Amino acid sequence: MESRHGRKKEQAESPEVLKAREEKEAVLVREYLALKDSLKELIESNKRDNDALKVTTALLRKSPDYYTIWNVRRTILKEGFLDNADDETANKIYTGELEFVQENLKLNPKSYWMWNHRRWCLESMSQPRWDKELAMVGKFLEMDARNFHGWDYRRYIIRQLDLKDKEAKDKVLERAQSEFDFTTTKIHQNFSNYSAWHNRSTLLGKLAEDLSAEEREATVDNEFDLVKNAIYTDPEDQSAWLYELWLIGRGMTPLKAGYVANIYKAQLTNTDLLKTIEERSISILGAYVISFHPLEIVVAFDETIEMRNPFTVSTRVEHVAIPLEGEWKATGSDSELGSLWIFQQAPGAVYGPTVEVVIFSDDVCAVRAGSKLPAAVCYELETLNQNLEDISGRLGRLVIGQNLMYDVTKRIGPVTRPDGTLETQVVNPKHRVTSLTESNSLDDRVALLKREISAVRELVELEPDCKWPIQILSTLLSELRKTISIHSTQAKLIDDECIELQEKLITIDPLRQERYEDRRTQLVFDRETLSIIQDSKRFPEIEFAVKQPSNLDLSMRGLTHIPISSYLLHLHTLNLDSNSITSTRFLRNLLNVRRVNLSNNLIERLEGLQHAPSLEFLTLENNMIAKWEDVVAGFVFWGEGKLGRTGGHVKVLLGNNPVVVNEGGEYVLEKRWEDVGEVGVEIQWQSEELRLAEEAILAAGGEI
Amino acid sequence: MSVLNDETTAVDASAPELLLDQHVKYIQALDTKKNDLEYWLTEHLRVNGLYWGATALHILGHPDALDQEQIVEYLVKCQHDNGGFGGHIDHDPHILSTLSAVQTLITYDRLDAIQVDKVVDYIVSLQNEDGSFSGDSWGETDTRFIFCAINCLSLLKRLDDKRLNLQKTIAYVVRCRNFDGGFGSSPGGESHAAQVYVCVGTLTILGALHHVDADQLGWWLSERQLKNGGLNGRPEKLEDVCYSWWVLSSLSMLKRAHWIDAPKLIRFILEAQDTETGGIADRPGNMPDVFHTVFGIAGLSLLGYPGLVAVDPVYCMPRHVIQRIGLADKH
Repeated sequence: MESRHGRKKEQAESPEVLKAREEKEAVLVREYLALKDSLKELIESNKRDNDALKVTTALLRKSPDYYTIWNVRRTILKEGFLDNADDETANKIYTGELEFVQENLKLNPKSYWMWNHRRWCLESMSQPRWDKELAMVGKFLEMDARNFHGWDYRRYIIRQLDLKDKEAKDKVLERAQSEFDFTTTKIHQNFSNYSAWHNRSTLLGKLAEDLSAEEREATVDNEFDLVKNAIYTDPEDQSAWLYELWLIGRGMTPLKAGYVANIYKAQLTNTDLLKTIEERSISILGAYVISFHPLEIVVAFDETIEMRNPFTVSTRVEHVAIPLEGEWKATGSDSELGSLWIFQQAPGAVYGPTVEVVIFSDDVCAVRAGSKLPAAVCYELETLNQNLEDISGRLGRLVIGQNLMYDVTKRIGPVTRPDGTLETQVVNPKHRVTSLTESNSLDDRVALLKREISAVRELVELEPDCKWPIQILSTLLSELRKTISIHSTQAKLIDDECIELQEKLITIDPLRQERYEDRRTQLVFDRETLSIIQDSKRFPEIEFAVKQPSNLDLSMRGLTHIPISSYLLHLHTLNLDSNSITSTRFLRNLLNVRRVNLSNNLIERLEGLQHAPSLEFLTLENNMIAKWEDVVAGFVFWGEGKLGRTGGHVKVLLGNNPVVVNEGGEYVLEKRWEDVGEVGVEIQWQSEELRLAEEAILAAGGEI
Repeated sequence: MSVLNDETTAVDASAPELLLDQHVKYIQALDTKKNDLEYWLTEHLRVNGLYWGATALHILGHPDALDQEQIVEYLVKCQHDNGGFGGHIDHDPHILSTLSAVQTLITYDRLDAIQVDKVVDYIVSLQNEDGSFSGDSWGETDTRFIFCAINCLSLLKRLDDKRLNLQKTIAYVVRCRNFDGGFGSSPGGESHAAQVYVCVGTLTILGALHHVDADQLGWWLSERQLKNGGLNGRPEKLEDVCYSWWVLSSLSMLKRAHWIDAPKLIRFILEAQDTETGGIADRPGNMPDVFHTVFGIAGLSLLGYPGLVAVDPVYCMPRHVIQRIGLADKH
């Protein structure tokens, strides 16, 4: 495909020139087609001689991506020459092939099939000269230092050599060092050589494995110095910045899914810090019963997780735990990921006086890298003799249909697994927090972050309108924040600064404005919901619900979305007026919320209302809902085509949305809505302001 | 059911117009250029070209602009006894052309014309011990071929074939992930937007997208957009229309398509149109070709350009086709 790139369009020529060109082209076409004909004959006659080989040579010179001919050529070589050749002859043939490929590669350095033919030759040779190959590819990378194929081929050669030396670790390490030095040379020639930075990242982990702690530290410092050189040369060049991001260990991604060849990990191996970061914990905000018939239980996590194994639900009959059949589903936008998980009892399943939900740490897989549930958690539910009054009083009014949402008693500690073994690791959140601040290696991490922060700050001052230093500064600050108490003044200052940095980025890099807005939303949301999450983390023994505020005002915060809706599970009233929110999907997670104000946002479609069982009042005035279909999308169809939703009655205000004008005005819409035959939904198409004004006039005895 | 895009983007009034009719004519004329040497030198891409052309025409709203019977007849001739399709009649079977043939036949709803079981056998035979797939029996491996295999089997509803080991495939793709969150052609290979597309696409189809750090990769992908609105495939490289597809569809699968500036990218693609002959080039001022034409048009559709048929970001086929075969809920 690459050959189709970068061909300049020519200016229109005179008819004479065009005619001459056409004639020339006709000759070329005739020659080519003649060659193709001879190839066809050759294939049909099964010829495997020099003449046959010559035809493929001529064709491949003209059409190097005609892959079938490479296949034919290999077959001719194998069957006609190589199968009966001695080692020396074979070697000569392969060397000839390598020369043929090399000559063609110079013209077409991006042809997959040629690089492929070269590998075939070398892998078929009895004594391939890999050292020569390394020199050859070195020359190619001099001509084009970013050639994707060249770098891939270089790594391939090294792999082959390493394979040969797999017993000699010294040689392998020496080779890695020499490749590492090669990237240093390439980077010094041009700091923008991202291919070299990339290769460096793959080599550094390998080299760091055998270094002492001091050597490792020196290596890391050296890397940061190299980055400094590059970013001071051109602060707009992203190559070195992306490398710096990796050195810092942003988001701990490399720890996820077995990616271990990472300098950050190598730097920290066997330290408490690595352990602490790896075990950055997922918390369960609570488990609640939504309904008894059928039994429905919701478990809320403080971040998005994937369920690896279904959590165990069992009921006790005479001291014997019997599994209770049912299904777990996430309520997020994606059925396989979510922060809220709902269990629904299978039809016909029967449960006894106690029900137990057990979540083992390996049942839970965090989407955020490096997070895990530190230990199994068990919830016990007494289904008999519930004092409904008492519970509803404590939790506030949690009416969902005819049922109440109950707390489930939480028990933390050793838990028996289904196979009879005991999961003994005990959760100790307080220890988690202190170990993070007391660890020695944490000091190193903090010192490193502070050093980098001050260096990047200098650059931000020098280049105030350059986005990369600002992005990296924000990332470094977020990393530093992970090392300090979230209650501290410093944490609050960092939050404020990071939000300001996003705002700066929005103004200087408008192309990616919405990414910065999303990031800013996350930061603002974290700050505003800090009290909710921190209390439950600090006091796991106190039920999450008890201390929660029931109202949250997040109006005019510039939010684009709701990052983790499980935080809002216990709210009654949520004010999101005048933000930039584009979707209402998060409503499906707000199992307890009564009133939501989403006026003056950017919503184009009603979604998620089907599953917001407690919702009574939703204001969506001044949004961008433009079509009837986008209103209907918010509800499920009941039998006989009636619209509706599960849960109680809800009133939705849709005034001042384009749909009112587009679909013929409020009276037309009211009629259409009646025709559909809704269940439990009342829609007000008229704006509330207008309605109140009319009401006032009527009250004053006037006429509208 | 409307096949057009539900959501359309406001287009910058000063941007050039989409030369819809000219593009249709350009694609229709591709098979008449037998006086050009180029026509013969690209013969090995004929089946791919057919997929590119047919897909572009469907997105442009002209599904009948090519002779369907002729296409089906031609594709049938490209299938080999082992089930794989070659790039042209008498060309060796390869997974690249096999996917294109299957995509084209499904778009025209003519899968009945070929032996599907044999296609499945061919693809299954290309899976390697480590979970990856080879491109053909000569053994070259690349994450592109993994995507071709998984994409094709999913279109044929045959991912449940007992001979496959998909867990190993997922593990292999995850091993191709790099320090920057992107993916390369093999473990250790540099991140490249097109390789990101095939890896994210594979993980999306296999329901394993949680192996991707969407914020990190979304960041890297959004940094592919340059000041002129175009996208490049790797840091510090030139922009190119085909990355409108590789980058944008990846961002779309990661639910972060809004992280780049859509109106600017629309303008860039439109400026790469050839106003004389129709067709879209890799960048403004260059020669057009069908490859950049389809990925430019598919990009415009994904960006919500008005009047185009909606495209599916994973399969790069009309969304109504993916809905018709019942795969639309996958992502």
